[in-house]
Amino acid sequence: MARVALFIPCFVDQLVPEVGLDMVRVLRRIGCELDFPEEQTCCGQPAFNTGYWEDARPVAERFIQIFRRAEMVVCPSGSCTTMVRKFYPELLAGTAMQKEALALGERVFEFSEFLVKVAKVTDVGATFPHRVAVHDSCHGLRELHLKQESRELLRHVRSLELVEMPYSEDCCGFGGTFAVKFSAISAAMGDAKAGFAETAAAEYVTGTDPSCLLHLDGILRRRNSAVHTIHLAGILAQTGGAAERRPPAASSRGQR
Amino acid sequence: MSRAAQEFLRSAAIKSADLTHRQVIRRNIDSYNTANERGRSRFLDWEAARLKCEQIKWEAVNNLDRYLLEFEQRVKDRGGHVFWAENSEEARNYIANLAAARGVKKVVKSKSMVSEEIHLSPALEKLGIKVVETDLGEYIVQLREETPYHIVTPAMHLNRTDIAKLFKEKLGDVDTDDPQQLVAAARRSLRRDFFSAEMGISGANFLVADAGMIALTTNEGNARLSTSIPRIHVVLSGIEKVIPHLHDLAVLWPVLATAGTGQPITCYSTLVGGPRQPGEADGPEEFHVVLVDNGRSELLANPEEREVLHCIRCGACINACPVFRTVGGHAYGTTYMGPIGSVLTPRLRGLPEFNHLSYASSLCGACSDVCPVRISLHHHLLHNRRDAVAESDRPFAERVAFRLWRWGMLGEHRFAFFGWMARLGMRVLKALHLDGTVFDPARPWNRNHAATVPPPKPFRALWGKSDGHN
Amino acid sequence: MATTNVPLENPSRARILERIRTALRETPARPIGPGERKIFAPVDDALDRFQKECAANITEVAVTPDMQASARTVADLLAALPPGEIFVQDSPLLRRLAAGWQDGRAIQWSSEGGPKESVQATITLAEGLVALTGSVITSSSCGGRGASIVAPVHIVVAGADQIVPDLDAAFVRIRERNLAFNNSYLGLITGSSRTADIEKILVMGAHGPIRLIVVLALRNE
Repeated sequence: MARVALFIPCFVDQLVPEVGLDMVRVLRRIGCELDFPEEQTCCGQPAFNTGYWEDARPVAERFIQIFRRAEMVVCPSGSCTTMVRKFYPELLAGTAMQKEALALGERVFEFSEFLVKVAKVTDVGATFPHRVAVHDSCHGLRELHLKQESRELLRHVRSLELVEMPYSEDCCGFGGTFAVKFSAISAAMGDAKAGFAETAAAEYVTGTDPSCLLHLDGILRRRNSAVHTIHLAGILAQTGGAAERRPPAASSRGQR
Repeated sequence: MSRAAQEFLRSAAIKSADLTHRQVIRRNIDSYNTANERGRSRFLDWEAARLKCEQIKWEAVNNLDRYLLEFEQRVKDRGGHVFWAENSEEARNYIANLAAARGVKKVVKSKSMVSEEIHLSPALEKLGIKVVETDLGEYIVQLREETPYHIVTPAMHLNRTDIAKLFKEKLGDVDTDDPQQLVAAARRSLRRDFFSAEMGISGANFLVADAGMIALTTNEGNARLSTSIPRIHVVLSGIEKVIPHLHDLAVLWPVLATAGTGQPITCYSTLVGGPRQPGEADGPEEFHVVLVDNGRSELLANPEEREVLHCIRCGACINACPVFRTVGGHAYGTTYMGPIGSVLTPRLRGLPEFNHLSYASSLCGACSDVCPVRISLHHHLLHNRRDAVAESDRPFAERVAFRLWRWGMLGEHRFAFFGWMARLGMRVLKALHLDGTVFDPARPWNRNHAATVPPPKPFRALWGKSDGHN
Repeated sequence: MATTNVPLENPSRARILERIRTALRETPARPIGPGERKIFAPVDDALDRFQKECAANITEVAVTPDMQASARTVADLLAALPPGEIFVQDSPLLRRLAAGWQDGRAIQWSSEGGPKESVQATITLAEGLVALTGSVITSSSCGGRGASIVAPVHIVVAGADQIVPDLDAAFVRIRERNLAFNNSYLGLITGSSRTADIEKILVMGAHGPIRLIVVLALRNE
């Protein structure tokens, strides 16, 4: 198995570290050797998406330097992976680092993508006896063309009932700074998704993007919904030991 | 923040909370999606069709002068006139002067978004000319004194009860909410107008260079009547609508119909060029094409953004957009709404005043996925944002925030420190019950979300310490 | 009608063209296009496909063995319509066939002008028929513009040999017969007039004909 460098998105590091920890557990279980380049901070996406390319550029260049010698980089976020693979070449167009950006892009993978397409593993020995629906995060779906990977992995999780929620490909409304600038629209979009998850009677909504899940979770909790969110890594990390029925992700930390 | 941006935020907030409105839109879009899916399955290779259409429009737009001149010459050979209008005012004046000179009292109009863009109707009405919208959706919003809600389905936001009430009030002889009878009432009323108007004004889906004809499509037949009976036919079109060859329509027509409404081809797919020819039974005596620039040549001059001019105005992006589905067409406050509107309006009318439209998106990319001519709409939204920042159209506070962000991200210790501060801040706010209040810097978020409880330690602190859990 | 007062000066024209030319000095990469990929599946049985598509788009099709039979079919259709004038394209074929249509009904011929607003039906030939979409190709040579849009009923007298398989073939036919050059109006009509502007509910009979009927002779006389 390959040696993998962990790309832990900035907000995963600071706000939902368990997503990173769960991914570590799964990668170790399938035999990966892991590195965590400690100098990493952020891929630059917030500034890039808001149009602040001059500010995003040095952050991107720093990121490339940090991961320069990594054979393989794995990230528990479709949008951050997209930033590196799809948008770094444009951000760094006309600079000396563009070539490196393109090369790095070929070695960076989103977590489910890595498991299914690179490691060629679909059964990670997980157990999760719940009804689960997948939210198809936009970057993963439309830029990385991910859809079946997470479903394949979930189909091999013991006792898991996989359901489809209506409009699973609709955007949840997070969109980065969009959620702050246009909070009413963002919340309404999330609200619609929350409703669809409830229609599907899912116990959990999962996906490849912790940002989407954080956004949906905040709205579901506000609605006192029976639906909870959990990152894909959170499901795959569970191996079913009784002691391990630990409640999922951010929902556990006593949110209102 | 510009006036337009403030208005948008206000309207968007109201509409976002309007569940009834969201339900109406969802129902309409679901209908469209079913029809569209069926429509695409009629193609052996829908992607090949998109590639072909992209290629046709690229050829046309990147040789715009050549094809416009060819179009103009062939229209003139047919006895038609071509007028090139720099801006809205010139276009309005040409048409108004023509109408006045010809003693026009009534105009029948088939759908033309350019006519909305240049605000034509008020100019004609000021001259005492009655302007009658003949597309049923446009007719309905005209009676309501509203602007079109959607470029293809202008009355999408209304249900039959709304329309029944409107017809009863404005047409008098109607007292039903049965769509069949409502349409029959509109047919009766508009028929009188078709046969008494002196001038018909239409838009154009395409300007066909090698034929000197315009291509027009409707299901109702209103454009056919508007361009057959009145003695003068005026076409209003943006300069970018040109296509090189008549044969291009073999793929453009079915693609436009599929993307627009899910049909294999629109009921009346029409070509007209010039006034009636000698020997023809009927038809207008005069044919005028008004080509409108209004900022398009400037967009053309930006090679990165030029493909935005490939748009065939099918409306598919609007239907795919979750923001449109949430706020509806009127909230945008502009002629063009949805993704194409958010990309185009800042470019045609100025980034300083309209860049907010390009920010009012989560960049989900659904629009680019469905665009039949493969415009990467969501990437253009991003470019608009980049250019707005470069031009300093953004608020000062935002610029400062990203300077700070950049500094914070360029070192892992600063980053960890800021992260620690943020988590501490969240705990303090929560403890003081100030989250979601005016004292909360994350108020826009916390207003709508249950507060996130920050973790005691970040990943980087847990890594290496017994390597997280194990 | 006077075509004076149309402003001959149009100074913006030169300015716009100049801006376009300057803008086009730089060109982005040409897109790859579809290459050899086929967009539509080939049409096997054109006659069958034409009928299927017409059923789907609500064009009535009456198949007859030959033109004489077609003439009788048209007479039957007319007998079921309210009294009033009909408008007929003035062509040698239709002149011949029209003998059976004048039973208590006046004919307005296209050579006299466009159809009156009150005609009960219009009867025309077609430039062709398209199987892929179930469409009728019409032009101003088929009795003028109003002939295919004014009346509540439009009857098209056509022959099966006029059917082309798809839109590519339709535009080839248009080019070969110079239809664009010879007409100020040319079009494809696919079904009768309709709208879905009210709650997306399909309503037939908007502004154009409420019924489109193709009387299709298997043998063109």
